[in-house]
Amino acid sequence: MSVQSVTTPPERSASELQESLGTKSRPLSDRFWWMAPVLASVIMLAVVFIKEESFAFVATSWIIFGIVGLSLDLVWGKSGLLSLGQTALFGIGGYVGAIAAINLSDITGNTLVWAIPFGAGAGALAALLLGWLMFYANMGNLQRTILTYTSTLLLLTLMVSFTATFGDAVVGGTNGLGSIPSYVLGFGEGAERVSSRVMFVTVVVIACSILLATIRLMRSPFGTVIDCIRLDVTKADLLGFDTRQYQLRLFVLSGAIAGVGGGLFVLWANFVNPSIFSNQNALFIPIYVLVGGIGTLFGGFVGAIAVGWLSFWLGGGAGGGQTTLVLGVLLILLVRFNRSGLFGIAASVWRRLRPKETTVVKSEPVKVDFELLQRLREGQTKPSEISLVTNDASKSFGGVKPVDEVSQRFTPGSVHCVIGPNGAGKSSYLKVCTGAYKPDSGSVSINGVDVTSTDPHKRVALGLGVKNQKAQVFAELDVRTNLWVAAYSRSRNSDHADSTVDAMLQMLGMTKGADRLAGDLSHGEQQWLDIGMVLCLAPDVILLDEPAAGMTGEEREQLAALVRALTETAAVVVVEHDMGFIQSLDPEVTVLHQGAVFTQGDIEEVRSDERVLDIYLGRREHVRDN
Amino acid sequence: MDLDYLLVLLLGSVTAAATLLIATVGLAVVYGLMGVVNLAHGEFLMFGAYTTLTVTRMGVPFVLAILVGVIITSLFGAIVEVLLIKPMYGRLLDTMLATWGLSLVLVQAAVLQFGTVTPGVGLPQWSISIGDFEMSTYLLLMVPAAAVIVAAIYLLFTRTSYGVMARASIQDRQMASAVGIETSWINTITFALGAGLAGLAGGLLLPAVPATPDMGLLFVIKAFLIVVSAGPAALSGTAATGGILASTTSVTANIWGSALGDLMFFVATIAILRLFPLGISHKWRIRL
Amino acid sequence: MFEITNATGGYEKTRIIEDASIKVDKGEVVALLGRNGVGKTTLFKYAMGLIDRENGSVSLGGKELPAATSRRVRAGLGYVPQGRFVFPRLTVSENIAAAAAANRHDRKKAVAQALEDFPLLKPKANTLAGKLSGGQQQVLAMARALATEPEVLLLDEPTEGIQPSIIDDIAGIIKTLNVERGISILVAEQDLEFCRAVAKRAYVMDRGQIVDEVSIEALLENEELVQRLLGV
Repeated sequence: MSVQSVTTPPERSASELQESLGTKSRPLSDRFWWMAPVLASVIMLAVVFIKEESFAFVATSWIIFGIVGLSLDLVWGKSGLLSLGQTALFGIGGYVGAIAAINLSDITGNTLVWAIPFGAGAGALAALLLGWLMFYANMGNLQRTILTYTSTLLLLTLMVSFTATFGDAVVGGTNGLGSIPSYVLGFGEGAERVSSRVMFVTVVVIACSILLATIRLMRSPFGTVIDCIRLDVTKADLLGFDTRQYQLRLFVLSGAIAGVGGGLFVLWANFVNPSIFSNQNALFIPIYVLVGGIGTLFGGFVGAIAVGWLSFWLGGGAGGGQTTLVLGVLLILLVRFNRSGLFGIAASVWRRLRPKETTVVKSEPVKVDFELLQRLREGQTKPSEISLVTNDASKSFGGVKPVDEVSQRFTPGSVHCVIGPNGAGKSSYLKVCTGAYKPDSGSVSINGVDVTSTDPHKRVALGLGVKNQKAQVFAELDVRTNLWVAAYSRSRNSDHADSTVDAMLQMLGMTKGADRLAGDLSHGEQQWLDIGMVLCLAPDVILLDEPAAGMTGEEREQLAALVRALTETAAVVVVEHDMGFIQSLDPEVTVLHQGAVFTQGDIEEVRSDERVLDIYLGRREHVRDN
Repeated sequence: MDLDYLLVLLLGSVTAAATLLIATVGLAVVYGLMGVVNLAHGEFLMFGAYTTLTVTRMGVPFVLAILVGVIITSLFGAIVEVLLIKPMYGRLLDTMLATWGLSLVLVQAAVLQFGTVTPGVGLPQWSISIGDFEMSTYLLLMVPAAAVIVAAIYLLFTRTSYGVMARASIQDRQMASAVGIETSWINTITFALGAGLAGLAGGLLLPAVPATPDMGLLFVIKAFLIVVSAGPAALSGTAATGGILASTTSVTANIWGSALGDLMFFVATIAILRLFPLGISHKWRIRL
Repeated sequence: MFEITNATGGYEKTRIIEDASIKVDKGEVVALLGRNGVGKTTLFKYAMGLIDRENGSVSLGGKELPAATSRRVRAGLGYVPQGRFVFPRLTVSENIAAAAAANRHDRKKAVAQALEDFPLLKPKANTLAGKLSGGQQQVLAMARALATEPEVLLLDEPTEGIQPSIIDDIAGIIKTLNVERGISILVAEQDLEFCRAVAKRAYVMDRGQIVDEVSIEALLENEELVQRLLGV
């Protein structure tokens, strides 16, 4: 089992949840997505004005922890990275925000204008540093999680012995940092600290704004790309997205949000000490997210309020030492038995109550639209040369050499087929072309640009399009979004991508049922969808690994027509087993055997070559000679 | 004088490395041979320390008490594996979260049971003097102890049926079951072994590090960083990485103080991970 | 003696094999032929209990086999997967010892026996399996499967990516095992020449189903069938 599938949160429940909450049924919910957070805020404000003042004070902290929960859900639920370092970012934001507020509040009277931006900036900066290390060192997700965990622990041990004076702020190790000003909203000298109720209102307004901005961002192209990266990072790479940069940007954003939480927290507590980095404190954050529902963004708030209220109601506040005990057990139980949280439970109840839609949409047959293929390539700067060239490319693993000095030049004009018996090294050769393997020696170039040690996403930007053997689609996104992401990668323009997708859906016969999840499509439909995604990239060099696998006779004919049409403008390389299909492409054939080029020529030459049949049948006489 | 200082510095580094290795090796075994990151490792160590302490105070000789501590911690580990780890195979991050929860439960339980301050074991504190410097004999004893533990683990995993099957299981779980290995049982034993090694560390270090509920914290940061930067070769990778990291840190700490030592450790780990993202021993072709 | 009946299954939602039935008699070597991707490996994994089962059963000597893979092995099913999958950071001896120990056989005896049976492995006994060549790994994978003392051996594409000279050795080993130890063998292959050397009877697989049962000699004479079968 791959690491990816291990670390991916059960997003299905979240997407179903999204559906059940109505965000998928356009267009009403598309326009009113902001309603739920705003309504929830209004209700909370109403509750607090009914309750006593001290309740407002305590409740403020829940909302602040909800903000930290949001910062975790953003990276965990959306990008699949479990960060145990959110309290570190929160704490750094808190300390820096506090130092800024202590020293600079006299200038304005207002404290928030200092604590919040400084907190956010510090959190973002810390996240940038940590994130750069995590994402640019090609670590696995496990190493990343451990790194976030240890950075929290390190801050705890460091802050205990860290003493320094910043202007009026004295950071005193275990003694912490005191006399932090409270919430002052007014400006000028006469500005006074506000009441707990007003403080609560302020924090709710800030939290609600952050939540709305985050939801909006995740509904934008950026959010869609992040979804894709979580679902299949290699495919996102093959669509030309700089996945590490996206992940880093998301993590920095999450750091900024946690930092805002830190700034708000220190103004609330008027005091901060190293225990802000403590394990106990850090533990709360994933609990909030798990209670509320991972991947929902507002789950962190729901969890923080639910847990906070419960312990407030049970033990009148912190609840003493037993709180940690109860929460530890709670975390274990949540992880063990229910990962979808309160909203997950609600959503599954809702699904059960709702009458099930049973209409099955089937795709229409594919009709290759040559005009569309032409149009896709319009407006692109045409490279002076269209080619994929490998020069003596070799790759070996231990004693095995699956790619052995392969020199090939693929250009437009006719289809190029790479064939060979099992284990001949076809897939490995393709991987050298896509950048999944970096060759040990020799070179690879695309359109005349040397890409020997270039990452896949940059090769795609240069004009490469790859369809792997297994259909790679983003199973939990709908058909339209799948194509849209590919089209967006090419144009980086939403409107342009929309029109491309409409035409592509027409061609694939998927206009009806474009809102189906790609994972619910049949095997053959997924293959076509994947091919459609590659076409949306309008590539100059196209690599297709067994594209006809699992297709019906008619589909194969369409595919053959498509592939032949593509060769007019692009260099097309097809790896196939099916001789009938290969013949219908009328290709130049390269036969690989034991990692090296065995022979090449047009299809008839190769078919009539006895030696080729021999290596397929395993007859040994000729093979030994070779 | 200068020479004495150097010798003390050297011995200090070696004992620091040995101590750290003793505290880390259980975590490394569980990670390297099960693929599980046990965030409650430090608390297993604490569990072993308290068990040893309790048994000692009942009048049992110290060495025997350590043994009892190891056995009880192993049993506890086996129970945790069956109840908590087994249902979540293949869900690495979930396992981490669950063991994290467990670590907090254990700390809190220890606070409730033993309070935050506890008496020591009352072993006589021998020390030897080197020039003007004094060194604890007991700490120096950790060096041969670490060597014995490492050798024992090596023999266990190369000479016994369990050991060979455990290594086969982590290298290819599916294939291991396809030659008849009951990987699920193997995992329970491995986790219990890792817990037992943590318990052993807790007991062994008791004279030097008094039992407190959060004593695990002292070791785990470094232990996790070592194990992650060590990579798949559970024993040699851990020993090598632990040695390098602990001695650099020890020197730094001796000169500039322990906080900077910790920071140095962290920075050095990050440097290692930057160079070897999947661990130092990722490409080592070695048995263990 | 060994029977797969109505095997239907695959990975998660994707069904890959459907209603496939195969029978191997005691002391027989049977080939399973078909192009890449027709479901041969999946059928083997089904037999080993390594994939999601939808329907069907596997029996050995008239008794249905238990669901767990490890228990199937102890009941007498040996498995050599495609791509070998030796334990790379175990030595050659340890690879064999692990398999023997898992089945509660004396591991020292098993290692000695294996090194005697496969002289090729003898000089490599203390070498890590990951350092062996492909052909040596294939032999080791077979030796490892034999250390479980199986009644039936499932061999998945033993010639894939192997030097021709070693392919002949492997064919020799299969025959010896079959004749001298009476082990029944089911071998999935694309290499027809190899199949002719070891088996008489073959099942032909296509798109997840068993489409034909033929004698290998008859198959080789039918050029058209060969081409269709292998997609050449």
